[in-house]
Amino acid sequence: MKQEIRRIILVLVGLCLAFLSLIVYISYFQVFKASAIKKNSYNKRLWINEEAILRGSFLDRNGKTLVYSEKKDETYVRHYLYGRLYSHIIGYSYREYGKSGLELQYNNSLLNTSENAAINELKNLVSPTTEGNNIKLTIDHDLQSKARELLRGKKGSIVAMNPNNGEIYAMVSLPDFDVNSLKEDWKTITEDPNSPLVNRATQGLYAPGSVFKVVTAAAFLEKENLDTAYECTGSVNVGGYEFSDYNNKAHGKLDLKGALVSSCNTYFATKSVEVGKETLGDMAEKFMFNNRIPFDLPVKNSQFPYKGFLDKTELAAASIGQGKVLVTPLNMAMVASGIANGGQIVKPILVKEVLSKEGKTIRTNTTEILSMATDPIKANLIKEMMVETVNSGTGTKARIKNVKVAGKTGTAETASGKSHAWFIGFAPADDPKVAVAVVLEEDDSTGGSSAAPIARDIMLHAINNIKE
Amino acid sequence: MNKGILSRSPRNLLFIFQVLGLTLLLIYKGKDIDKLTLGTAVGLVLVIYLSNYILTKITSGDNYIFLITTMLVSIGIIMIYRINEGLGIKQLIWISMGIFLFFLTYFIIRKIRIWENLTYIYLIGAYILFIITFVFGDRKHGAINWVNIGQFSFQPSEIIKILLIFILSSYYSNKDRWKEIKYSSYYLMGIIYSFIMLLFLQKDLGTALVFYTIFVAIQFIYEDDRKLVLINIGLSIFFGILGYTLFDHVKIRFQSWLNPWKYIERQGYQITQSLFAIAEGGFFGKGLGLGHPDFIPVVYTDFIFSAICEEMGIFTGIGIIMLFMILVYRGFKIAIAQRNKFYRLLALGISILFGVQSFIILGGVIKMIPLTGLTLPFISYGGSSILTSFIALGILQICSEEIKTKEELDEAGD
Repeated sequence: MKQEIRRIILVLVGLCLAFLSLIVYISYFQVFKASAIKKNSYNKRLWINEEAILRGSFLDRNGKTLVYSEKKDETYVRHYLYGRLYSHIIGYSYREYGKSGLELQYNNSLLNTSENAAINELKNLVSPTTEGNNIKLTIDHDLQSKARELLRGKKGSIVAMNPNNGEIYAMVSLPDFDVNSLKEDWKTITEDPNSPLVNRATQGLYAPGSVFKVVTAAAFLEKENLDTAYECTGSVNVGGYEFSDYNNKAHGKLDLKGALVSSCNTYFATKSVEVGKETLGDMAEKFMFNNRIPFDLPVKNSQFPYKGFLDKTELAAASIGQGKVLVTPLNMAMVASGIANGGQIVKPILVKEVLSKEGKTIRTNTTEILSMATDPIKANLIKEMMVETVNSGTGTKARIKNVKVAGKTGTAETASGKSHAWFIGFAPADDPKVAVAVVLEEDDSTGGSSAAPIARDIMLHAINNIKE
Repeated sequence: MNKGILSRSPRNLLFIFQVLGLTLLLIYKGKDIDKLTLGTAVGLVLVIYLSNYILTKITSGDNYIFLITTMLVSIGIIMIYRINEGLGIKQLIWISMGIFLFFLTYFIIRKIRIWENLTYIYLIGAYILFIITFVFGDRKHGAINWVNIGQFSFQPSEIIKILLIFILSSYYSNKDRWKEIKYSSYYLMGIIYSFIMLLFLQKDLGTALVFYTIFVAIQFIYEDDRKLVLINIGLSIFFGILGYTLFDHVKIRFQSWLNPWKYIERQGYQITQSLFAIAEGGFFGKGLGLGHPDFIPVVYTDFIFSAICEEMGIFTGIGIIMLFMILVYRGFKIAIAQRNKFYRLLALGISILFGVQSFIILGGVIKMIPLTGLTLPFISYGGSSILTSFIALGILQICSEEIKTKEELDEAGD
């Protein structure tokens, strides 16, 4: 009899434990899992709330409308006026494909809602939101169009920015896609081996080649007792590997300036071993390599892996932008900006302001200094070398009449055998208004011949047309 | 005296809850509510209040189980009416019939005292119902478990649940009678397994699981042959693995439990929609009428709990879980207090039925365990579910009263 009662109680305890586990699980779910689950794009509630709000517009820096929404038969229709030109910056917002670009990053601003559900509910009680905010970009629509025109038919990216306050004037990545015909093209876009969905300016990691020598030169200047004199014979052996100059040309007697102007590989390969990986690595990190760049769009970290094992050959290769060094075009534009403004790395800005429907400024992105890469004196020395590079060195195709241009070319070797053509620079050299980075992916041409003229046109257009 | 005050006050609390809920519904539905609906709803509130009152007068047993279930019923009807008025009115009718059946069952079981001797009749009844399901059955949500009679459709398996409890109770309460049959426990096990197999063939995995759990729990308490309990548990593991490897619908349910996000557009759709609803509700819910229960599939029956969590929050959800826990606790208390073994077994069987069935579906919709389609007793929409639940409750009510054991009855007869 006793045993029967004992077993009954055992079953009861089992059932009670089962119920308690339900309570524990549902509480755990609500505290730890719910907020992430709610954001899943299959949650139709997200769209129900959104579809009752007139989504805000995108404007360029001069107030030109780029994207807007309009009410049509009780639903809102979004118009992308320049379907391809802003496919990587503004991106898209579709029920089927989700959101990308600034449409994703600034979703709450565009809908004038808060991330906090409780605040939203309170707000809706007082005055339901019906119209979102507009977003004013730092982009100059004309320059953006021009940049895309210059890059047409090629793969690669162009980033043009204000070197002093970090405002991005143009950011182009090719190949791109048309956000207006996403439905028809989705399969082709996602299966294209050239990945048109990727924003190469922020997500593309390229071997920088000789444009990295700007960073290396800054590191050399840090080392006070470095003997900068060198005699170039066209090739040099570092750690058992033969480094040679372009066309095996012997540059003869050189100092740092001469080496940068003629882009002498053997010079940088030899001297970098003397300077050591710590100095070079520190300098690269000051130029935001291995660091997260805060930006309105997600950015991949540029890489300069020196903390682990890096032998002499690898260090020499890294000093000329080959081997394990990888960089995003945006980061390279920031390097040019850093030299232009006396050594400060400024935070890049893509969204200038968030404006309410009435035109009131709700939020402004202000200039921020991310790091001090070098001091103004050393920055000035490098600037002079870059000016000389454009005047008489590898970058003569970037010359502009009556304007002093500073620049550096690069031709990065790749595993595929086709080289990337690079150019970074800024102008006017004495009062920089615009800094630019151009990369032509697997273009199989030299930076001086193909990237420099593109950069020149961008800088010229920016100096003549952009008001700050 | 003391008891009177205690039992009266929760009745009033329930009344206040129902009036508040009804007012909220009126505000939400506004002028759309017609007089008939309003009349029926007010009528139901009064019927529930009166039933609780009358019950204290006519029964010498438990006063709480009916109170708990009417609370559950109230939450369910508010939610169902909010989603679909037509179904809400139908549910009102089902509940009224359910309460009537509760009293009817109570009186029939009290008056007639031959129930423990009808094992064979229960058995034949169960098999006939299974045959009816297979011959006339309709497929709903993938399972063949509905039979249409004229306009109405019902689930025979709901009635078989009660027959199962009667079979187990009549067998284990009177083991002497079965002694002459050798291996009678083995035969019983074979019979129950045949039920489970039949349910499995109907693809009604949830009910099969409920049958198995009731059986294994009763067997665990009363079977003298302990080896058989182990065999039973071992066999269930064996059949579980076999079912997983042989049947796609078992495999799909398991996989969509492990990672529903991977199959979100197909087999994971139901459970993920349920999780969205619960997540959106947060702790205190969106408020009645402010959620989107219409996004949840089969929301009236299997997923009613998710809709409740979305609009009333998991605080109400936890409240429901605790009400079921108290109901099960009261049921077990009744069983332990009952001296007549047959009625004690009935009370145990019914309590386990309520407990296991609510656990399986609640755990399923919150993705704690794999989802198997079942109704949430007293809350989900549906005639079969509501009516059989109230019948079961009526039986439990009788079990809570003092019933003379067989020996005592025999003595009185002499």
